[in-house]
Amino acid sequence: MQTAYSSHLWRYALILVAVGLALLPVVWMATMAFKPHTEWVSTAGDLHWLPREPTFANFEYIFTGETDAYSITHERTATRPIISSLVTSLLGTLIAVIAGTLGAYAVSRFGVGRNLPLGVLQLRLFPPLAVMIPVMIMWAFIGAMDSWWGLSLIYGIVTLPFAFWLMKTFFDEVPREIEEAALVEGCSWFRVFWKITLPMVKAALASTTLFVFILNWSDYVIALLLTRKEWVTIPVYMNSLSSAMTGQMYGAKAALGLIAVVPPVVFGIAIQKYLVRGLTFGALKQ
Amino acid sequence: MSEAATKSGRPVLTPLETQGKLLGLYLTLPAQLLLLFIVAFPLVMQLYVSFTWWGPLDGTPWYMAYESANLFGNYGDLFDDSKLWGSIGRTFLIVAVCVPIEFLLGLGLAILFAEKFVGKRLFYSIMLMPMMIVPAVAGYMFFMLFQSSGPINDLLSRISGTEVEILWLADGTLAMISVMIADIWQWTPLMFLILLAGMVGVPEDQMKAATLLGANAWQRFWRIVLPRMKMVMIIALVIRTIECIKIFDILYVMTGGGPGVATKSISVYILDLTFKDLEWAYVAALGLFILICLSVFAVIGLILMQRAQRRNETMPA
Repeated sequence: MQTAYSSHLWRYALILVAVGLALLPVVWMATMAFKPHTEWVSTAGDLHWLPREPTFANFEYIFTGETDAYSITHERTATRPIISSLVTSLLGTLIAVIAGTLGAYAVSRFGVGRNLPLGVLQLRLFPPLAVMIPVMIMWAFIGAMDSWWGLSLIYGIVTLPFAFWLMKTFFDEVPREIEEAALVEGCSWFRVFWKITLPMVKAALASTTLFVFILNWSDYVIALLLTRKEWVTIPVYMNSLSSAMTGQMYGAKAALGLIAVVPPVVFGIAIQKYLVRGLTFGALKQ
Repeated sequence: MSEAATKSGRPVLTPLETQGKLLGLYLTLPAQLLLLFIVAFPLVMQLYVSFTWWGPLDGTPWYMAYESANLFGNYGDLFDDSKLWGSIGRTFLIVAVCVPIEFLLGLGLAILFAEKFVGKRLFYSIMLMPMMIVPAVAGYMFFMLFQSSGPINDLLSRISGTEVEILWLADGTLAMISVMIADIWQWTPLMFLILLAGMVGVPEDQMKAATLLGANAWQRFWRIVLPRMKMVMIIALVIRTIECIKIFDILYVMTGGGPGVATKSISVYILDLTFKDLEWAYVAALGLFILICLSVFAVIGLILMQRAQRRNETMPA
């Protein structure tokens, strides 16, 4: 009894330390987002973890490019990059989920497209930077550089492996008997897929969509290579927010960072159940 | 359709099967087109360009690159490129330090979370959070933390009681350590998640039987849980190693590869070649070289996985 109690105590102590460490950087950024610029950096050990005078000036600054609190103005606001991130991530997700779901069903049921499972997996293996030269040449050639559709298209292909493998494991789990019964009734294969199987994996499809969206939203390097000005996404914009003239815009960048991390964290917690399956390409199920 | 199939000696397909196969071909079409358009075609193009000196400022379109063909010139240069080998070395140093630490920390956390306790769900959700943070933003978080007047030095000052002003990101070794800490922070949760999933899969009756036979917690873990988790561990290590070799976002935001070249990984080196030096043909060759190396590594990983799986299947239940 005594040992069980003390081992519980140890467990909680260790877990609290781990949780604290996991939260520390996030908390620092979140509080920084509400600090006025006098509190951004400490002078002579005078560092405060919580803002003494909380302010929304940082948010005002990134959305309007100016605020009474700071003398520096910024002509490019964060509105465009946020829209760009949303549009390209959503469209990319749509492409990946549609192509992945259809392909996964075909591979799972009919044994066609045998090259697909490994073909899409190898997409994930390579560092994007090592294979982007021909894509950049192509994109310049067809005028897709710095365009919403060019970035969406590449997002669609980069996250296709996740959509494909996740949906394949879900389709593999649907009992064949139900489909066979409908086929005996005279249903066509397409109607079986559309009216019976797809509704059965509805929840899984939604989780896959959120999962793929998180991945697209998190991208930095592809947007860095394929956008210049009009369609830069949040991370690219964020990194350009400091200059020699303005110095580090800690508070403003933290405010933008906070906006950027909310969607993936919320969605990620919502689909916790399928995270293992998604991240291991279906090799492991929880 | 089925008549033709009979003539060629293949098994006869029923009309329904034929219909299914046909539908299957249609359904795979989008994925196949994407693969062809963005994988197969670019790879051929990359191979072509890699045999030339072509660059984006040459004034000739890429398909005329053959005019400056040099055959294996770029590939030969790879072996004399000391900056390349330096960045490969640094990347592997990061992998060699981060992946084992993430693995051990993840395993420790998974052991802590293996049993039921109050608040488990909440703590579990919080523990998963770091890996959902946009990596570039995570890089910026750590950039702020490691400022000389930032909270890390502040904490150290409070603990030690003296003024600590370490320039974390301005010193080569310390910058490398900072980047490693950031990577470990972000990706330990992934190891934890995968390993915990593997741990939960161990049949409970086996654990009970072992307890009845007098096995202590350590023996139970070492003799029953661990062997069953071999497959999961290999998956976690392979996935994490592959991702860690690609390390870019977090590192680039924190240090930009500096100070000097102290934290320049393969990806940062390639980015510099692409944008600063504009040596696209050389990057194409370098990219293909990396592809081949990683493919070899992936095949080894797959073989290990299959071997572990086979052993799991033959293991008496």
